[in-house]
Amino acid sequence: MATFINKRLRWGLALCQLLAILIAGAVINPQPAAAAVGGDGIVCTTGPTFSLTTQTGFIGTPDDNVVYMWGFSAGGGGFQHPSPVLCVNQGDTVSVVLHNTLPEAVSLVFPGQENVLANGAPSQPQLSGSTITSLAPAAATGGSVTYSFVANHPGTFIYQSGSNPGKQVPMGLFGVLIVRPSRNSATNHYVYQSGDNEYKVDHEFLVLLSEIDPLLNQAVERGRPFNLNNYRPRYFMLNGRGFPDSIGPNFASWLPTQPYGALVRIHPYDATNNPLPALVRYANVTSQDIPFHPHGNHARLVGRDGYPLEGTGGEDLSVEKFVINLGPGQTWDTTTDWRDAENYNSSSNNVPVTVPNIQNMAYGTFYGGSPYLGEPGPQPVGSTTLNQCGEYYILAHNHSLFQITSWGIPMTGPISYLRIDPPLPNSCP
Amino acid sequence: MNKTFTRRNFMRLAGGALAATAGARLLPSSFNQMLQPVAVVQGAVPDPDLIFAGTDGWIALPVNAATTTIFHPDTLAPTPFTTYIFGFRNVTGLDETQIQNQKNKAQHSAPLFWTQEGVPFHLKLMNLGLAIRPDLTDTHTIHWHGFRNVIPFFDGEPSSSVSVPINRDFTYVFNAHHPGTYMYHCHVEDVEHVQMGMTGLVFVRPAQDGNTSFYPSGKYVFNDGDGSTGYDREFAMLLTEVWAESHWADAHIQLPEWSDYKSDFALLNGRVYPDTLAPNGSVDPFNPVTEANGDLSIPPAPYEHLQYQPLSSLVTCNEGERVLLRFANLGFKQAAMTLTGIKLKVVGRDATFLRNGATDTSYLTNTVSLGPGESADVIFEAPAYVPHVNGYNTYLLYNRSHSQTSNRSNGGYGGQMTEVRVYPVGGVAAQTGPNT
Repeated sequence: MATFINKRLRWGLALCQLLAILIAGAVINPQPAAAAVGGDGIVCTTGPTFSLTTQTGFIGTPDDNVVYMWGFSAGGGGFQHPSPVLCVNQGDTVSVVLHNTLPEAVSLVFPGQENVLANGAPSQPQLSGSTITSLAPAAATGGSVTYSFVANHPGTFIYQSGSNPGKQVPMGLFGVLIVRPSRNSATNHYVYQSGDNEYKVDHEFLVLLSEIDPLLNQAVERGRPFNLNNYRPRYFMLNGRGFPDSIGPNFASWLPTQPYGALVRIHPYDATNNPLPALVRYANVTSQDIPFHPHGNHARLVGRDGYPLEGTGGEDLSVEKFVINLGPGQTWDTTTDWRDAENYNSSSNNVPVTVPNIQNMAYGTFYGGSPYLGEPGPQPVGSTTLNQCGEYYILAHNHSLFQITSWGIPMTGPISYLRIDPPLPNSCP
Repeated sequence: MNKTFTRRNFMRLAGGALAATAGARLLPSSFNQMLQPVAVVQGAVPDPDLIFAGTDGWIALPVNAATTTIFHPDTLAPTPFTTYIFGFRNVTGLDETQIQNQKNKAQHSAPLFWTQEGVPFHLKLMNLGLAIRPDLTDTHTIHWHGFRNVIPFFDGEPSSSVSVPINRDFTYVFNAHHPGTYMYHCHVEDVEHVQMGMTGLVFVRPAQDGNTSFYPSGKYVFNDGDGSTGYDREFAMLLTEVWAESHWADAHIQLPEWSDYKSDFALLNGRVYPDTLAPNGSVDPFNPVTEANGDLSIPPAPYEHLQYQPLSSLVTCNEGERVLLRFANLGFKQAAMTLTGIKLKVVGRDATFLRNGATDTSYLTNTVSLGPGESADVIFEAPAYVPHVNGYNTYLLYNRSHSQTSNRSNGGYGGQMTEVRVYPVGGVAAQTGPNT
């Protein structure tokens, strides 16, 4: 059953390449501060003051379905999914003004933040008699609420609706909040204020995991009731996209409402020229555990839910794992690199096997045609590759494997690649 | 190694040249250059340490009123089997005819094997095709899950590298630098091939092994430098699951809706309790035993149905011994393995020694939580033997997620469950290999 997905991949990625060129600078939507348009890595909407307005719109899924969603947009932008990545600095007083345009009350909660205020008063659960109506003060249809807090510790956090969250979060009212440590400088970036967790500047990536039951979304779109006891997710998303859309560039024009790519792009570790790892921030907004498995190398887990993994005496309690298991609402901060352990190359250190004849192997769409980094080789007659310069692609995906599907289409869903470019200088675009 | 390999290598090269010649006739002469049979080789290429074949086959899972549905037992299954699988077989040492005989004779779980830290390991994979689904021309691969700093060529992820078509082979080289417990599986059509059973456990022995100054057995999980991970006996525990509908669907040319997934049967080393206690078949990967036709032997009664489920999960040990449990979960659901009455020390997770410099991060528990794709190295010390009519004391090791120990029966005792039997000193002979 490999043919189908390969066809999808070829189409999707041929489009990717074509359109990556077309959109080099052009952005379709008035999107938030697009630091990395057309590129990879986290796209920040910077604060510390934000204006979030609810929006409705549609997203595309890997089975060519179109799904109605809700979302927040920043500063009057159009609908986007997921909602903007809000970035602030440690110590900032963060202010988020929520404007609700939806037909039901909406609020915001900021798990992991302390002393959150709503319109200047402590943000408390809302009760009607003894019945809870919202996890936080909510904005009625057409109304607004201003939430504020001091971002006193760095890390990766989720923000989401606190009203009818069993419905509104799956509908898309969620996003990621990043708090950067105050010890950061222009040239040195850290995950936390303490500990050994420096990462390479501009090498910061997001894995935001969500899921969709399209029947819920359809019911909401049509204004019909939906019994949440029947909730059964069929789509499993990574940064709001399914594979292979997930490895498309940020703000890909063919995904006008799904701006965030998930490709992680690095160079091999080098003690002199590339000593620092990349940072990958994970967040799970679903209601189930997700075991995310990056191939290629262990991730070093340096922080969980906005707290560094260190002992009371500052002991380093970070741990290397090949699966990052995320509970519902949980976040992990991980650093990752890839080391050319064997230094295989065509001139002096061949792979110690007889490489079969080209016809005796099935070539993958991303395979460069040789085992060697930066050394593209011949492709089978009549086929093409999406490999550009002999770079390596190494998979990363949810290992609860029935979830790397999209309502019947296997090998889609929350899958991405780690792209390893040959050491610089190289010929890669 | 032996004569068989030499002959095979010769046959393969000759066959390749033949195929290339035949193919070349059909194509313009300009393509001839691309059809040369052999690519670049530098230096001597050793014979493979192991040879695995990917194919389909049948296994047996319990049949009773509670388990019977239109999907189980599969009406196509030959007696005494119930369930269609894809899987691997260890065909090391077999000749070409014997190997071809193994089509439709896959085993589950896939063969357990291990390598030595710092010693390159050559694993050859052959693809025999699928007997029941000749329409499916799927390739296969070996993905060593968790292997650090892998190159795509040896990662077995087919979109970023190469995969093995039917009647072809490919040799993976794994130079493992990090001891611990891993798992391997085919990564082609990952959802399907993993669920169908192309899943096995692999571990890496540390360089410290053989040094008896830290622990008398000279056997360790990691290079601990102090014997804290030393052990006397080791048992691999691979957790997988069977969704009966998806297995039935593959045999009956149907496609399941994967988001309907259910774990109907939760397996420990390819079996459900009480079959988990049955003796091993041929499980020493480096000394496989087969029938003359290359097939696995039919076990003696009453275990005839376990012909293609050879790996036992029965843990036997003597009081006072340290026992290592190597867990890996290739099911799709979270597991929670608990051992009644004996504390567990988790010394490794995901093939990582739980120690950061001088900080010991290992921990004691009675339940080891394992998400899909996770592994754990867990040591327990067998408690004192208390005289009992059996001659041993029994401790249950099982998945505390009770839906995974049910075999679909209400409150049943099945699935991912086995027994730890503790004998008095000298009651059990020294272990000859993992899971023995």
